[in-house]
Amino acid sequence: MIQLTVNGKERQVDVVPDMPLLWVLRDELGITGPKYGCGIAQCGACTVTIDGLPVRSCQARIGLLEGAQVQTIEGMTTKPFRAVQQAWIEHQVPQCGYCQTGQIMQAAALLATTPNPTDDDINAAMAGNLCRCGTYARIRTAIHAAATQLSPTHSTES
Amino acid sequence: MKPIRLAMSLATCSQATFVPASFVPAIFVPAILVIATFALVILAFPTPVFGAGNGGQEMPPKGSVSEADGLKAWQRIEAVVTHPRCSNCHVGADNIPMWSGPSFDRPRPHGMNVNAGVSRIGVGTLLCSTCHMTSTEPNDVPHAPPHVGLPWQLAPVEFAWFGKSGAEICQQLKDPARNGGRDALGLIEHLRDDASHHGFVLWGWNPGGNREPVPGTLEVHIADVGLWGAAGQPCPPN
Repeated sequence: MIQLTVNGKERQVDVVPDMPLLWVLRDELGITGPKYGCGIAQCGACTVTIDGLPVRSCQARIGLLEGAQVQTIEGMTTKPFRAVQQAWIEHQVPQCGYCQTGQIMQAAALLATTPNPTDDDINAAMAGNLCRCGTYARIRTAIHAAATQLSPTHSTES
Repeated sequence: MKPIRLAMSLATCSQATFVPASFVPAIFVPAILVIATFALVILAFPTPVFGAGNGGQEMPPKGSVSEADGLKAWQRIEAVVTHPRCSNCHVGADNIPMWSGPSFDRPRPHGMNVNAGVSRIGVGTLLCSTCHMTSTEPNDVPHAPPHVGLPWQLAPVEFAWFGKSGAEICQQLKDPARNGGRDALGLIEHLRDDASHHGFVLWGWNPGGNREPVPGTLEVHIADVGLWGAAGQPCPPN
């Protein structure tokens, strides 16, 4: 039995220790925000945070995660996440949407460490998240918008 | 960095056997499979014995090995340190790991535009640990990111080996300013210490995922470093 915290709730799972976290989330816990794209960390669709850092959940085996704090898009409440979520809506980023939960998780992680990213910063941080619809330009625009929203000098009344 | 938790050991990997019922068809796979094909050489070496070790007992007395035998030992060391399993992450100040080796038609930068940054672990860019878990078990799934028992990272920039000749690397390895302040004994102790953590050195002989391992074994490599050290660390001409 492995215990971990998922989206603020303590959970116990009785699975083999080499089961990937993505499998646990989707099939054991019914949390389907993280998506399966490739299973080998080449696409980023399964991105979650573990102890606050972005991780491809298809690669994190549950046996490593005793006591871990896991956040999926369903449980995200951080200020960067809310800003990203709003920017994604305003700029109508998704097309098919399949990769977008991973994109959003990675973008929120970027803004948590780099509040005012340049295009190069965004390219570097987001390059591991593939989008077959090619929404990259809108993703970049939305991240800049979220950064502006989060800026200390930003006024919602202006 | 908090992924220290990920250093916990695991049961044997069998990730490829899982088929979650909730999967949406893997729409990304065709594009992804264009990425590298990996070497067909299957690991055939037993896991080396490793432990704290005593470098002093593993190196013959200085001067007891001829320069000619020291150079022969260096040739075997060179085959290890220039192998893609080692050199791909011993890169220069551009901080870009490489993909090269028998399964690539030419050396190329690590996919996904990866740049490990000046931190050499991806701080401010994309953390190596986003994909490379810290685990004492190898990741045997072809094309998946490898594991070691230490947080994934590039070697320090002063240890850049990629694209250099064996003679150049030899000069680096005998220069304490470019080898972490180590003499030959220190190099052996470094190899032992890394292996005790299931680190990057040991991984080179057990890389998983159908990757070609470095030649020989860790034990042979340590013995060669001892011979080379006892011979006075001779290097071939540039």
